Amino acid sequence: MRSMRRVLFGLGLGVVAAVHAAGPSDRVVDEVRAHLREQLAQPPSEAALAALRRDDLTLGLMALDPHARFIPAGEYRPPLMGPEAWTGIGASLMFQAGEVLLDVYRSGPADRVGVPGRSRLVTIDGLAVKGLTPAEIATRLRGEPATEVVLGLISPQGASLRAHVRREAFRPLDVEVVEPDDQRVLRLREFIAGLTRAAFVATIEFMQREGAPAGAPDAPLVIDLRDAVGGDLYEAFDLAALFLPQGAVLGEQRLRGGETRAMTAPAGTKLNMPLVLLVGPETASAAEVFAGALQHHRRARLIGQQTYGKCSSQTDVVLSDGSVLRLTNREILLPDGRSCSGTGLVPDLVVTDAVFADLARLLERARPARPKG
Amino acid sequence: MRAALAGAIVLGATVLSGCANVSTDPREGGFFGGVSGINSGTYDARVRERDERLAQVRETQRALEQETGQLESQKSATARQVEADRVRVQKLNADVAALDKRVKTLSAQEGADQKRVKELQTRLDTLKRQMGQQTSALDALEGSGLGDAETDLRRQQLEKQRDGLRREYELLMKMQLELAR
Repeated sequence: MRSMRRVLFGLGLGVVAAVHAAGPSDRVVDEVRAHLREQLAQPPSEAALAALRRDDLTLGLMALDPHARFIPAGEYRPPLMGPEAWTGIGASLMFQAGEVLLDVYRSGPADRVGVPGRSRLVTIDGLAVKGLTPAEIATRLRGEPATEVVLGLISPQGASLRAHVRREAFRPLDVEVVEPDDQRVLRLREFIAGLTRAAFVATIEFMQREGAPAGAPDAPLVIDLRDAVGGDLYEAFDLAALFLPQGAVLGEQRLRGGETRAMTAPAGTKLNMPLVLLVGPETASAAEVFAGALQHHRRARLIGQQTYGKCSSQTDVVLSDGSVLRLTNREILLPDGRSCSGTGLVPDLVVTDAVFADLARLLERARPARPKG
Repeated sequence: MRAALAGAIVLGATVLSGCANVSTDPREGGFFGGVSGINSGTYDARVRERDERLAQVRETQRALEQETGQLESQKSATARQVEADRVRVQKLNADVAALDKRVKTLSAQEGADQKRVKELQTRLDTLKRQMGQQTSALDALEGSGLGDAETDLRRQQLEKQRDGLRREYELLMKMQLELAR
């Protein structure tokens, strides 16, 4: 599994900041122990709970639950609220194998000046990024609205580019429409409770009103989940249910103690177009549950690379001093009864790194095969 | 006399040369071009061409004005829709705030199912935050600088989301009524 880190400009970085914050009081650590004892999906031993120390809580928590976090009061941003407006170039940074990649948001400042998604960032205002820390790179890219930054880039196709990007306030769409060549692609980055499915349906209706894309009539709808890092589990189930018949099993929740609860697709709006999902190492959690359900029912073809491998859900508990404990309280099983945790999903068609980074080449693989002769 | 004749020959040669190279490019206008035009009748052609060009420019201008008018009209229609959406979201905000107040009263009542009240309160808090986001997203839409298609798409996404949040509110209302019984 490739290691990739991401920095979102202007978005809350509470979890990262929490690591460096001062430790909580002993009373709060006791509350943490009590919640872990009562709610953790894998009940911890008393010895492990007793070993939690206020000055090293983050590491102690991660030993019990790799997804557990302690977030000090004032640094907490409720998850699953969707992106807020931020000022910047309209892109996030991805750090991969020593390279710095730009993940460009549709209709944002970088997109509007033609910066291709997943371009390699080489210079900022003439200064080489090699050797700079992620924080230093982020600082150089951030700035006041209406100021300009000059980026030296290498596109996924290997072309050198120089882009003058004007920073501005920007709020990404909850569902982005990407139009490479003649094929429309919907990009999801997060499953937001109560919002993503609605935005998705609105986008499909919008595309239908605007007219079908000029490509092949049997071209599938492509959903790009390469940057979908998770979100609300129920929203992921709801979205999967759009493509599956009523009663189809979407997955199961395995609660503490082993009890399972199956989730099935309800009646309602259904979409029946062919479907391709682009997935990769960053596709995680709710996005894996969504993709896993559709892959199991052979409703979608998965193209890309092995996914992250996190089929568990977390809950946030507000503690008495306003700080927040995030803990894993259930495991999510795919319709075949297995969890993707630690293994991820294997796409139906696995592609090389070069193809994975290039949306146009990925879409070539997504086109239906033509009969020979 | 000889000198005068020589001058006339030179002038004649120039005129002939001008006739052989008739050009209607205004950058080559000049005196000799003008003379050649008058002599050959090209001047009239140029006037006609310029009239035609002028007519074309006027036509293009009319089309552009019409398009601008349509865009302005679309823009004001979008602005009106955004305003209407904002009013609806404000109404929903007020409803959610009232429900929040009722749930707080409910949580103080004896005998209420405290776990369900807490659950209701959590969902209400999320709903309130999402409503706040809807309001700011609608505000941002007006000065977004996005192309018309993107603005339209964003507005439609917000509209569908608002409808979804309204349904969520109605569900919470039902839960609150059940708990109040």
